[in-house]
Formats: sequence, C-alpha cells, structure tokens
Amino acid sequence: MERLFGLETEYGITIDGAEKIDVVEESMELIRCYQQGDFVPLWDYQLENPRKDERGFEVESLLNDLDEKVHLQQDRKRKIPFKELKSDLIIFNGARFYNDHTHPEFATGECLSLFELVAQDKAGERIVDICAQRRTEGLKTGTVQMYKNNTDFEGHSYGCHENYLMDRSVPFERIVEGLLPFFATRQIYAGAGKVGVEREDKAPLFQLSQRAEFFEVIASIDTMHKRPMVNTRDEPHADPEKYRRLHVIVGDANMSEYITALKVGTTVLVADLIEADALPGYKLKDSISAMKNIARDQTYQWLVEQEGGRLVSAVEIQDAYLEKARSEFAGRDTETDWVLGAWEDMLRKLAHNPMDLVGTCDWVTKKWLVDSFCESENLSWENPDDVFWMQSQDLEYHNVDREAGLYYLLEAQGQMVRLVGDDEVAAAMSEPPTGTRAYFRGRCLEKFGAHVASINWDRIVLKNNRKEHAIDMKRLVDSEWVRRYNQALDDSETLVNFLDVLNEIDANV
Amino acid sequence: MQNQIKFERKTRPSDPIERGPGDGGDGPSRPKVERPDTRDLLKRMRRVDPNQARRYRQRTGE
Repeated sequence: MERLFGLETEYGITIDGAEKIDVVEESMELIRCYQQGDFVPLWDYQLENPRKDERGFEVESLLNDLDEKVHLQQDRKRKIPFKELKSDLIIFNGARFYNDHTHPEFATGECLSLFELVAQDKAGERIVDICAQRRTEGLKTGTVQMYKNNTDFEGHSYGCHENYLMDRSVPFERIVEGLLPFFATRQIYAGAGKVGVEREDKAPLFQLSQRAEFFEVIASIDTMHKRPMVNTRDEPHADPEKYRRLHVIVGDANMSEYITALKVGTTVLVADLIEADALPGYKLKDSISAMKNIARDQTYQWLVEQEGGRLVSAVEIQDAYLEKARSEFAGRDTETDWVLGAWEDMLRKLAHNPMDLVGTCDWVTKKWLVDSFCESENLSWENPDDVFWMQSQDLEYHNVDREAGLYYLLEAQGQMVRLVGDDEVAAAMSEPPTGTRAYFRGRCLEKFGAHVASINWDRIVLKNNRKEHAIDMKRLVDSEWVRRYNQALDDSETLVNFLDVLNEIDANV
Repeated sequence: MQNQIKFERKTRPSDPIERGPGDGGDGPSRPKVERPDTRDLLKRMRRVDPNQARRYRQRTGE
C-alpha cells in the first residue's frame, strides 16, 4: 500500500500455579528471556514525549485511574533502575520488544504491506511464546501464560495500538470527523469479542469488542484513563512539518490474521479518504454511546443515531466508507483491491448472517465457541460461576501458546482463515519488513550492532573510535531515501565504508 | 551488545494476489471445513480451569 503502518500489542501475563505475581517484574523478566547475554540498554528515551498534543500544546501529566495511582506509588519504591525495568530491545526484524510498564509489548517495525504486517504481528506472538517457555523453565514453580487480549474482565484494559503515517497538512478536525463514525462501527468485523460487561451495569452478555466500553471522550492525549476515540499524542517519528502519526488506541488485539489485515487495511483506506477530503459525510449524535451500544447489541442490527435523529446501521455506515474508497482507489495496487473485495464480502456476510463468519472474525468465532460450550455444559448467563467459566474460555482463546490456546486449536484443525504461512511467520521473527526503515533499523543492528550506542524509531547513533555518528531516520519515511539508505547498508562491508556512503548520499541531496 | 535469538531464515511472503479470500467474488470464505467437529474443542474447553479468568488480574495498560 502507499502508507506506513504498524501495530503495538500489549500482552497480558500471568503464572499458573503461583500464589502472587508482580506483573511489572515478571514483564521485565519475560523480555530478558529473549536475550542470550547481558542486557545493554540502547533505547533512546530522550526522543520520546508522549505529553505533546496534536492540538498544539503539551500537558503536564497523563491521567491514571485510581487503581493505577496506588500501584505507581508502590512502583516508585522499586530499586530497579528505569532502563533496566523497561528492558527495551530492538529486534533484527526492526521491532521494539519491551516492558511497557506492566505488560510485555511487541511493536512491529514499519510496514507497507498488510501481509507483511500480519507476518510480523504473528512473529511477535511466537517470540512472546518462546520467552514465556524460557521464563517457565527458570521458575521453581508455575507456568507463564501470555494472552494477546485487552482485558482482565475486572476493569483493567491494555491496548493493541495501530499507527498510520499521515499528511500533516490535513486539518485535525477533518481527521476526527472522518474517524468517529468509522471507529464506532469498525468493531462489527474487527472486534475480538468479550464475555461480560466490566463497567456500569456489568450485564451478563456477549460483547463484540473487548475495548469499546473503556472509551469515554472524543479526543484527548490520554491512553490509560478517560480514553479517547481519537488519541491526540503528537509523536510523528518523522518530519513534524510534513507528517503526523495517527495513533489509534480504540481497537482490539486480533488473533485472526484475516481481521488484522482487514482492520488495518480499511483504516488505511479511510486515512486515504480523509487526506483526499472524500468522506461519506456521516455524523453520529453520540459516537461514544454508539460504539458502546453496538458492542452490546444482541440483535446484530447495530442501529445508531445520526445528528438529526435518523437511525442508520453500522453496516450501512461501513458500506458508505467502502463505496467512497472504491470510487477513489480501486485498481491502485493489489493490496488495496484485496481490502476492497474483502471489505465488501465481510459487510455482505455480516448483513446476511454474522455466524457465517466463524473461522474469520474473532468475535464470531469466540461467540460460537462459548455458545457451543454453554450448550454442552448447560451453563447459564444468570449464574456468576458459569460466567467466570465462559470468561476463562474467552481468555484461553487469546493464549499464544499454540499447544494450549483455543484459537490455535481451531487453527490446527484448519478452521481459521490464514493469510500467511508458518514459514513466513518464522522468517518474520528475524527478518524486517521490506522497503521501509524497519529494514534499515534491523539490519543496521545485525550488521553493526557492536557499534550501536543508542536507537529509537527515528534515530540510530553509531560509535566508532570514540566518535559518535547520529543517523537521522526521520526522512526514511520517503521511499527514495529508504531505497538509498537500505542499499548503502546492504553494499557496505565496514562501518567506515557505510558512514562514508551515507555522507555521500546526504551531500548529493 | 544484544545477543539475539537466531531463527532460520526462510522465503519472503508470496504475492498477496494469491492469498485467496477476497478473490473471485466469494470474499472471506471459511476454510474447507463444512461443519467444525466440536468434540476435540469441547474436550479441550472442559479442561480450562473455571476460575482462570477469576484469578487473572492485570494492571491498566494503555
């Protein structure tokens, strides 16, 4: 496709058989299991500022919920230094793997291909699983279990964030206008499904989405409390005069390869529509309530109220975005056409009978599993103990252990649609996606790792003979710069030669 | 320096046009399993600890 994108997934962690678990230290220990030697902190935190807002200001601090404030007070007493606790690693495939405070997080390198993104995302699952096995081997008792989900069913949510590079010149108001109806309704195919409701009435029912009920405001910079449908964090990791990074926090973590590709693919096309100023023009009366109501709607009609009062279905809204995208972008490239075709067929099947999408959509597959189990065991939604057992099945759907997880049992039976082969996933565990600066980052580390002094998404500092050379990767979001820099890296035998070639490229601009 | 796990390198992903679902007009079709056999699934699901979710407590993330 023609836009850079990537996924950041926070994993849930627990130890079966342990009486208590310190999730902060266990997350650190899990990340450390990736390495075979001592940890050397290389991540450059000076380049990060999550408090800068797209709307032109900087906040003093980010919001935390009450629970977390208490935990943070205890965290301040920890003796482990900040960098040690974070344990930031950059992997040869260009990804960042680290302890995002209390959750191991795998953030893929930048991709231009949906199918490469799926392979990278699945590679992240495999790496997390391998680390869990290694950590288990080092424990006296218990088994580490890792879950690619978004909730503990008790009001604590963690994210699967999407990132899309966008044109800075597009007015932020248009971005919000274009995203709200799309995000409120995208869950009808992209939701991961959830047993139960964690807030407000705690109703015993099956929701489409794990995350929908955790969103409270339209737009803000926060990500952990009073979460916004549109996050305004202003960290483009590229030239801030030319680009912004759309940081999407509203989605679920998907096990389904098909849904990962469709979720990101449709969002890329909507970002294209926003930039082209070709939006279908829907305005919902209350986007936040609409998103929550769709998640809870047991009729699957998914009706929402527009400004002016007219009701419209989620399928109709999605179809309007699809038609706009088709008229603007059909025939542009093979992946765009794949998304257009898959989007249309998805909406047709959702309108006809969502349960036809067992094996494709996560929420449908999970609901089918839970319904089958309830029927088999005579479980009731009215019995809290039964609901806990259903939630346990929900959780196990997301277990990344391929010998234990329910998703992986279905996959092993050939019941899940797949887009990438196991060989492609295995390759993506060490190979970066092609044609982006993820290749430069990963290969640079692999080839000249002993000389890397620090690293971040948009800068690598190399050290040679006590002299530091900072390579600014902000411009490596432009295809010609990426091609030249990646070629220089491939062609250079020594660090001196490599730095000389980069200097020549820069001098000839 | 980071000593990374070495994984076997294999071929790059094939052309996305060959990836089936969405091609030929039938869209996101399910794999060729007419009616999933639920016996193994249910057997596995019965082994899931009924209290697994009750014990599973996390801290708020992003």
